[in-house]
Amino acid sequence: MTASGRARGLAAERFIGRLLSGITYVSVALLVVGVALLMAAGVSPVSGGPAMDPGRLVSDLVGLKPAGFLWLGLVAVIAAPVTRVTVALVAYARDEDWLMVGVSTAILLVIAIAIGSAVVSTV
Amino acid sequence: MIVGLWMIGGGVAAGVFGSLLGLGGGILIVPLLTLGFGLPLREAVGVSLVSVMMTSSAAAGVYLERHVANLRLGMTLELFTAIGALVGGSIAFLLDERLLSLLFATLLAYVAFTMLQARTGETSRGVDTPDVDLASKDGSPSRPTVLDRLGGEGYQVRNLGRGIVGALGAGVASALLGIGGGIIKVPLMHLAMGVPLRVATATSNLMIGITAAASAVIYLIHGGIDPYVAGPTGIGVFVGATAGSRLGHRLDLSYLRLLFVVVLGYTAFQMLLRVLQ
Repeated sequence: MTASGRARGLAAERFIGRLLSGITYVSVALLVVGVALLMAAGVSPVSGGPAMDPGRLVSDLVGLKPAGFLWLGLVAVIAAPVTRVTVALVAYARDEDWLMVGVSTAILLVIAIAIGSAVVSTV
Repeated sequence: MIVGLWMIGGGVAAGVFGSLLGLGGGILIVPLLTLGFGLPLREAVGVSLVSVMMTSSAAAGVYLERHVANLRLGMTLELFTAIGALVGGSIAFLLDERLLSLLFATLLAYVAFTMLQARTGETSRGVDTPDVDLASKDGSPSRPTVLDRLGGEGYQVRNLGRGIVGALGAGVASALLGIGGGIIKVPLMHLAMGVPLRVATATSNLMIGITAAASAVIYLIHGGIDPYVAGPTGIGVFVGATAGSRLGHRLDLSYLRLLFVVVLGYTAFQMLLRVLQ
């Protein structure tokens, strides 16, 4: 690997690291708000929370309902590593590192299959 | 309100213990939620997966910024942990809860046993840098192989095949039991693949995110993650793990480790009782 290629790789790693930390802290903040609202409403955590309904997410957030903040936080937690792989894919493609482009694409494909198979099995 | 505070407190304890002993919180969250709060095991596993993702993503971000984790190796192996997690997450909903409890009890007993062994043997044999062969076989310059490209500064990666098989197993275990799988991945990378321990730990942490994501989406879509439980537990584990990572170097861990062995043994016994009920 050339010196400039290595420098670009290190810069990409730094960026990905910051992005991962940033998304994690945002998701923690969302969960803190959700838990505070849950406790303020006097709802017991073991009473059973609502299933995720993307159609109700915005109205729950606007209406300051705990489920909206909790679900958005949880989705952000799961999305953080997927975003990390997507950004790495772009960085590797820019460096024409086709082995890692293939690995990154395959990882995203596995995640897509996981989502697809779960959706199909619940229908 | 009180239950929520207990859940946050339990999460903090799981995070502190897990972080201090290098296990991650997953191995404690599932027993905490099943035995402490009466949650079904599968739901506890879903919550545990999200909680370990939070702590691992935060730590992995720092490791990447400091260039401690090996991103290329981590991504190559996490492709296979993700495939394992996809398989594990899919079969988790087909297995009897008692079988899952039995698997978890076995895991707890195994971890307790290995920790006890480490305690008795730590003065005589620590985990040293593995034998790394940095010299090329014939000394001539050649086209870099896949293994060459996965190595890092001062070390070469070997036994990729063994790493792939181990990663698949770690993925299945993570999805079935809600653990990060560091207990499999770290020794695998360090001892079998020649990766320095510090890099193996950081890279394992990085891999938890995608591994857990592959199964967490399955749990989420199947309704296996309760937001009211995941919120307080996740926050607790995150705070506990952060505090634990700062306390670690100030505490004498030998007595704590012994206490942990007792806790793990007792928890394994309680999980076994659930199997027999």
